[in-house]
Amino acid sequence: MRRRLAVVLALALWPWAAALRGEEPAPAAPDPRALVGAPRGALLAGAALDAETKRVAGLLRCPVCQGLSVADSPVGMAVDMREQVRDMVAAGYDEEQVLAYFEKSYGEFVRLEPPLRGVNWIVWAGPLAALLAGAAIVARVLRAPRAKAQAEGGPAGAPPAADALPDDPELARYVLRVRELAYGWPGGTPGAPAPGDGEAGR
Amino acid sequence: MNRKVLIAGLVLVAPLVAVLLIGLGRDPRVVRSPLVGREAPPFTLRPVGGGAPVSLASLRGKPVVVNFWATWCLPCIEEHAVLVSGARAWEGQAHFLGVVYQDGEETIADFLRRRGSAYPTLFDEGGKTAIAFGVYGVPETFFIGPDGVVADKFMGPLDDAALSASLRKALERAP
Repeated sequence: MRRRLAVVLALALWPWAAALRGEEPAPAAPDPRALVGAPRGALLAGAALDAETKRVAGLLRCPVCQGLSVADSPVGMAVDMREQVRDMVAAGYDEEQVLAYFEKSYGEFVRLEPPLRGVNWIVWAGPLAALLAGAAIVARVLRAPRAKAQAEGGPAGAPPAADALPDDPELARYVLRVRELAYGWPGGTPGAPAPGDGEAGR
Repeated sequence: MNRKVLIAGLVLVAPLVAVLLIGLGRDPRVVRSPLVGREAPPFTLRPVGGGAPVSLASLRGKPVVVNFWATWCLPCIEEHAVLVSGARAWEGQAHFLGVVYQDGEETIADFLRRRGSAYPTLFDEGGKTAIAFGVYGVPETFFIGPDGVVADKFMGPLDDAALSASLRKALERAP
């Protein structure tokens, strides 16, 4: 009986023992430890592990479906990536270590939020700078006519007087002629009495 | 005023045009991998169809061609013949490895029985090795130098010329 047990045990442990002797290496995927160091956080399990996996996977871009995070994408690759995140989170790797691990193989592109470094400052500060510049331009344009009017000492945008004439003498002559025809003003000026006024009064 | 508008417009548009021009000059099929120039992620994977697990580290000293593929990917099927003839042509000078990407072990074994093979095809449980290599989609091929550093990466189906060119890049790296 004891002998039988020993044989069964030896058979069960055979592949493992062979691996230990270096005859046959045990299958092993790349170890994140070599790239991002030892886990910095606590081991996670159960609901806490589920929640942290979802949160961290939400920060990773699914490489084949650019607009979606690894947490939201249904494709096979995202499923594998979620499982990788889960394994790392369970082993105690923190958010930055998980993101750094994926970044080592996929590049910075895999982060949904570009980190604040180098050229990425433009992405974060650019829209704010553009908004401020736009506000400055609008403020300047709105203030300009008022400032001009104040400098001239009159209300902004006052219409010219009814009898004002253009500077161009040629044009002024036509304006006077039109007024004479339209209003019946002799010579185009309103001061002179219109011809026929005296007769009409009689 | 017109001059000011012109200058402001140029200031806004010139950088945009510059970015677009730089983008136009690039080959859109080339995706720079952060892995090129870095040590390849070490893995030990078991071959499809049984046999001793193969570790990348044990192949040091010669270039290694690591091809990620699947049977559901048509370009991979076209590429298979190129890789098999390449592995025969480069025998003794380079190692070839296939790594299964999101495919069933039985499907792969069946495919290899029908189409033949000249090198081990490894099963990547959970796609962990593909993730460590930053694989986007198959086929994707990594050329690892004799020193274990990734010398080149090729996306899409390889032809004989591309295979030789990338293998020569890997051979340039000293062991």
